[in-house]
Amino acid sequence: MFMTRSEYDRGVTTFSPEGRLFQVEYAIEAIKLGSTAIAILTKEGIVLAVERRTQSPLMVPSSLDKIMEIDSHVACAVSGLTADAQSMVEHGRVQAQNHYFTYNESMPVRSLTQSLCALSANFGTDDEDSMSRPFGVALLVAGHDVDNGYQLYHTDPSGTWTAYKAKAIGSGSEGAQTTLQEEYKDDMTLKEAENLALSTLKAVMEEKVSTANVDMASVAPKYEIYSKDRIKEIIERL
Amino acid sequence: MPHDGSGPTTRANWSPYDNNGGTVLAVAGEDYVVCAADTRMSTGYNILTRDYKKIDQMSDKCVLASAGFMADAVTLKKTLKARCTTYEFQNDKPMGCVSFAQMLSNTLYYRRFFPYYTFNIVAGLDAEGKGAVFTYDAVGSYERTNYSCQGSGQGLIMPVLDNQLKTVSPLVLPAQSSATPLSESEAVDLVKDCFATAGERDIYTGDTVEIWIINKDGVRKEYQELKLD
Amino acid sequence: MALLASGNVSAAYIPDRDERGGFNFDNVARNEMMSQNGLKFKAAMKTGTTITGVCFKGGVVLGADTRSTNGETVADKNCEKIHYIAPNIYCCGAGTAADTEAVTGMIASALELHRLATKRKSRVVTALTMLKSHLFKYQGHVGAALVLGGVDINGPHLFSVHPHGSSDSLPFATMGSGSLAAMAVFEADFKEDMTEEEAKEIVARSIRAGIFNDLGSGSNVDLCVITADKVDYLRNYECPNERTYVRSKGYDFPPGTTVLNRRNFMTATAATLPVNQIVDIIDGAPEDVASGDAMQTD
Repeated sequence: MFMTRSEYDRGVTTFSPEGRLFQVEYAIEAIKLGSTAIAILTKEGIVLAVERRTQSPLMVPSSLDKIMEIDSHVACAVSGLTADAQSMVEHGRVQAQNHYFTYNESMPVRSLTQSLCALSANFGTDDEDSMSRPFGVALLVAGHDVDNGYQLYHTDPSGTWTAYKAKAIGSGSEGAQTTLQEEYKDDMTLKEAENLALSTLKAVMEEKVSTANVDMASVAPKYEIYSKDRIKEIIERL
Repeated sequence: MPHDGSGPTTRANWSPYDNNGGTVLAVAGEDYVVCAADTRMSTGYNILTRDYKKIDQMSDKCVLASAGFMADAVTLKKTLKARCTTYEFQNDKPMGCVSFAQMLSNTLYYRRFFPYYTFNIVAGLDAEGKGAVFTYDAVGSYERTNYSCQGSGQGLIMPVLDNQLKTVSPLVLPAQSSATPLSESEAVDLVKDCFATAGERDIYTGDTVEIWIINKDGVRKEYQELKLD
Repeated sequence: MALLASGNVSAAYIPDRDERGGFNFDNVARNEMMSQNGLKFKAAMKTGTTITGVCFKGGVVLGADTRSTNGETVADKNCEKIHYIAPNIYCCGAGTAADTEAVTGMIASALELHRLATKRKSRVVTALTMLKSHLFKYQGHVGAALVLGGVDINGPHLFSVHPHGSSDSLPFATMGSGSLAAMAVFEADFKEDMTEEEAKEIVARSIRAGIFNDLGSGSNVDLCVITADKVDYLRNYECPNERTYVRSKGYDFPPGTTVLNRRNFMTATAATLPVNQIVDIIDGAPEDVASGDAMQTD
């Protein structure tokens, strides 16, 4: 992809003369290889839908969680290196619990996202918990708090976070994002968002959508993972 | 000299605490909170200053009143104020008084075995705009109450507040409003009288009462002279 | 020195204390042992008071505050600390209230008898001698710190007396926890041969210094002016500490404020009932009332 190989893609903290951090860009590229994840924000809550790629019939599907709870009011859908996602989610969980312990209130969603991004941007330093490379994962952080209601944030390996109304990440993200842009409405119901999320996912997935290869969850206002029956119901609605 | 404990005491008398006296008090109403403290700071039989403010604003609608050892109180408040500022930057909102109350408890308990020798009252408005008073011991045990008094005049004032303000227990079902039945001006009137009375009998309470009144319009201060002896 | 001469223990030679010089800590070990064996060393007594006195041309002025404290609480806001000793002698007392009152009372009555026996006016030195010998006998356990003043055949006299029995004859004297504040006033402005008004002013000012700057002292200023031909006991000469605020609403406790659990009724007749006939009535059963004319209390 980069025509000239250069020595500036070695050190993670070294800028190229053109002002680029290659390792970070590569990490962002890595996400485009991951499974597709979609999140849609409505006034009634946020829907998360992810594709679950089972590479072998012998694999236990439940061990491939791409939607994770950070606190009862925040969840995230991930795409990219799942191991990195688990590190970040663990960090987020500690931050959320610590905030509750210290302030007797749920951690604001944006603060939590910022804390995750601070960790993402903290690669290549001497800090004890610092990674030697950027995280190869993107997160869709969905949450609800008293002050700002429902919020959806996208984070990438550079530590950049952006608020979205609807966002797709992973291998099918380009097509999915176009669909979301065309179909999203500000006054969507949660049910309509469930339909849009799953139909969008269906359109970009290679396999046929089933309860075996799709996971869904919502934050409305508490995190809830959808059962197979509930997902089946949504599939049948489409 | 043998160092086996058989010899005379050679250890220094290390006593890092002092009590600087003073009384702090707070009364919560349905839509206001009154927080008051005298401005005398003393040690032993000496007055160090007649104009020491024991109440500090910690965030938007939250004040902290501390009695006990003022050196500790100053350090504690510096720490807490810094944390409030950091919180505001990180969370893009002022710290609420319920959160502040929890943070103070944690901060005090962190020094469980070398405590801040301070006796604190947090007063503010909660998320619903109701008056809130939180009262502490030196190592962080705390409780939300409708009124509280701490410091040298506690023993004189607390029974009066119990008598004048005691409302139904929060444990009674069905839940009843636990705010004081007094109006804001009546509460201020009672607070002034409590301090005048404590000033009559407690040698560490005197000079001036500083009264903070917090309601939906913001924060207001009043001063009332006390005896100077 | 015999040890040194013998030579064979020279390695263990410890020089005499006199040769060594420096401090002697022998009693530290002894005191520790005694306190471990239960001896209680007396803690220093705090005297929450300001008392002063000054000599002026033709007499003495004594002064005192009127606060009596029990730890950090004010026990009496207007007590009297200037005690009568004789018609021409008064004495201010600081320290343990019981001791100052008892010791001045004892000396006052002893002097009364002394006057009856001798048919002479009492002298201030007589009172002083009796006081200090009593205090010395009790080795400081009678906790009285006094300012004694009066006018006798030899003119005006002013003494301060400490709890262990020592005394000073002085032109001005201060005692109690406010003594430093009060002394500052005298050291700044005392003059020989002041007028009576000047003396009253400086004594009142010295007491005020104690009242406002010493937490053990407070409330009002009492003065006592003694001259050859009169005594002015000026009780509450100044009252600079009036209450600053009174609740506009007041405190009203209507009947029923205190919840009634049980009522006792008894008939008040000339032949009062024996105690064992007082009937306990459980509330809610008023028909059981033994004699029915009692007033309802709720």
